[in-house]
Amino acid sequence: MIRAVAARTSAATLLLPIVAVVLALATTALLLLLAGADPLRALSDMWTSSFGSTFALGTTIVKALPRLFTGLAVALALRAGLWNIGAEGQLYVGAVAATGVALYVTGLPETIAPGVILLAAAAAGAAWAWLPGVLKAHRGISEVITSLMLVYIGIQLASYVATGPWSTPGATFPASNPVPSSARLPILGTGTSVHAGLIVAILVALLVWVLLDRTSFGVRLRAVGGNVRAANALGLSAPRLMILAMCLSGALAGIAGGVEVLGSRGRLIEGFSPGYGFEGIAVALLGRLRVGGIVAAALLFGALDAGGAGLQASGTGLSAAVVQVTGALAVTYLLAALGLSEIVTRRSKAKAALANADHTAAREQPSHGTDVATPTASTDVGQKGTKT
Amino acid sequence: MNAGAFLLVLIPVTIALAAPLLYAALGELISEKAGVINIQLEGMMLCGALFGVWGSAVSGNVAVGFLAAAAGGAALAALHGVICLVLGANQVVSGVVLNILALGGTSFLFGSALSGSLTSPAATLRPVPIPLLSDIPLLGPALFNQNVMVYVAYLLVPILWFVWRRTRLGLVLEAVGERPAAAASLGLSVAGVRWSALLICGVLAGIGGGQLVLAGLGLFSENVTAGRGFIALAAVVFGRWRPVGTLLAVLLFAFVDALQVRAQVLDVPLPYDLLVALPYIVTIVALGLFVRHMRPPAALGIGYRRT
Repeated sequence: MIRAVAARTSAATLLLPIVAVVLALATTALLLLLAGADPLRALSDMWTSSFGSTFALGTTIVKALPRLFTGLAVALALRAGLWNIGAEGQLYVGAVAATGVALYVTGLPETIAPGVILLAAAAAGAAWAWLPGVLKAHRGISEVITSLMLVYIGIQLASYVATGPWSTPGATFPASNPVPSSARLPILGTGTSVHAGLIVAILVALLVWVLLDRTSFGVRLRAVGGNVRAANALGLSAPRLMILAMCLSGALAGIAGGVEVLGSRGRLIEGFSPGYGFEGIAVALLGRLRVGGIVAAALLFGALDAGGAGLQASGTGLSAAVVQVTGALAVTYLLAALGLSEIVTRRSKAKAALANADHTAAREQPSHGTDVATPTASTDVGQKGTKT
Repeated sequence: MNAGAFLLVLIPVTIALAAPLLYAALGELISEKAGVINIQLEGMMLCGALFGVWGSAVSGNVAVGFLAAAAGGAALAALHGVICLVLGANQVVSGVVLNILALGGTSFLFGSALSGSLTSPAATLRPVPIPLLSDIPLLGPALFNQNVMVYVAYLLVPILWFVWRRTRLGLVLEAVGERPAAAASLGLSVAGVRWSALLICGVLAGIGGGQLVLAGLGLFSENVTAGRGFIALAAVVFGRWRPVGTLLAVLLFAFVDALQVRAQVLDVPLPYDLLVALPYIVTIVALGLFVRHMRPPAALGIGYRRT
């Protein structure tokens, strides 16, 4: 199942997402044309503000960071066969924890302060994902529903602390007080907004890659994701692994929130995430659940975000929301392409098997069972059936 | 104000707030019974809200608004059908992605293409008191002085119950959602039943989104549904895949919502943001405490392919 997609590197693995993205951009151009805009100018505006200069590239990277963390979070849970639809909520509680520690825990040595605060963010995200994990593992309650509910609770919790106890009364901006500069992730170079969150992201991505692809833990996760009963028979504790996978996934999403507070924004802003957690699902799929692919997909979504902002600022009256459509379309096309390729493969296999059967029959030999009825192993996450 | 009077004020608000949720939840119930899960319920409501307001504003007729809302919801449902039922992709993935698409798409349309026709409020629904019943002391005005689409929403509950329990159609739906292979061997078209259920769900969720805006101010705003589709999704689970159970779940959520609105009006010293989260907290607690043996339709979310 998911193992197959993670293990198989073929031209199609790389090619299909690229084709999907190109098609999505073309569709976006068409939409812009229908909205009465000049699509070429719009696309060139988007390019300029996402890759056109060092500053633009920096913006793209900064905007890619939260999507990278949430993309990794979703992919990690999916390895264990779990849908962490609630990364958005874990991101918010991560941001809440980071802000709380940064504002109220004093006396942290400056060298380790950001690290400690990010650990707190990770712990909060893990706790937020723990509950759906436990309810799934022990009660069989769909993690899809519970983690979704926790998204809204997390968002409201963040709104409450950001505009209530952690803000200055009478503040006009719906946000908490700024975190002390000693807690901030420093800007890495001059001329861009890239901050040390990039280093955190690189380290975390490497860690996830090692964990998933180079350790026995990764293998065990996949075993649980592939078949819970088989995993139990192998002596792996499926419930424990499932809960652990959800917690790790939540921790990654929590770090996303922490990095946003300590890096890009410097405070907890009400409703600061435009859906980083939900986009993480799109990023994970577009990246075909591999760490390298997720990095590329996160950069794409970061570039779209930066490009959309540039488009809206260009004074042509176009809404930045169009880039959300582009991102969603890219994944939609990928799902469609994966589905089509599976159907084509199945047809050609069935045809080959039929031809084989005809051939055998012509030689008047007893026909052994042909391959026709063998269910093709579901080879992709796009096709993976999920019981909720 | 004593507690009794306070509750009496809450009842009509609860009944009205429940209607959009009820449309979406009953649609989702039908679809899930046939084995199709719609995480994009939220997106379908959002499409319904935008097209409902647009249709009503352009035509000046609220009925046209509801038709447009139904079409908007059904369009997103059809996309889900192509991705999942035709091309065999995972339903949860498709649903999540379609939500993003709906949020971006409605915001984009609202911000550019349709912005001209949506500046002033669209035609909206007015309360229709039911003769005699609305004269019952105390409860009459609370229950029977609603707009017509509220009555329709509640009428759907006994209709669905009847279809489930007393008709062949109910059995067909159940068979396709529980044992698609067996249903197919009986000559039923699994794909046909699933497509029908999915499109009905899209229509109802679209109407729910339309109800949200057309029973209110007649104005659309970005992400106006604000998670109500997800609440409706949870109501189906909490209601144990039964029409009456789903109704009760929806009423519970709507009551908490009404309480929250009321508490704000009365300036109750409770933090607003935490009150807004109440329905979601109630859902989680309810699922955790009361749902012991969750038994969704056996083939829910699992693609079916003829062999």
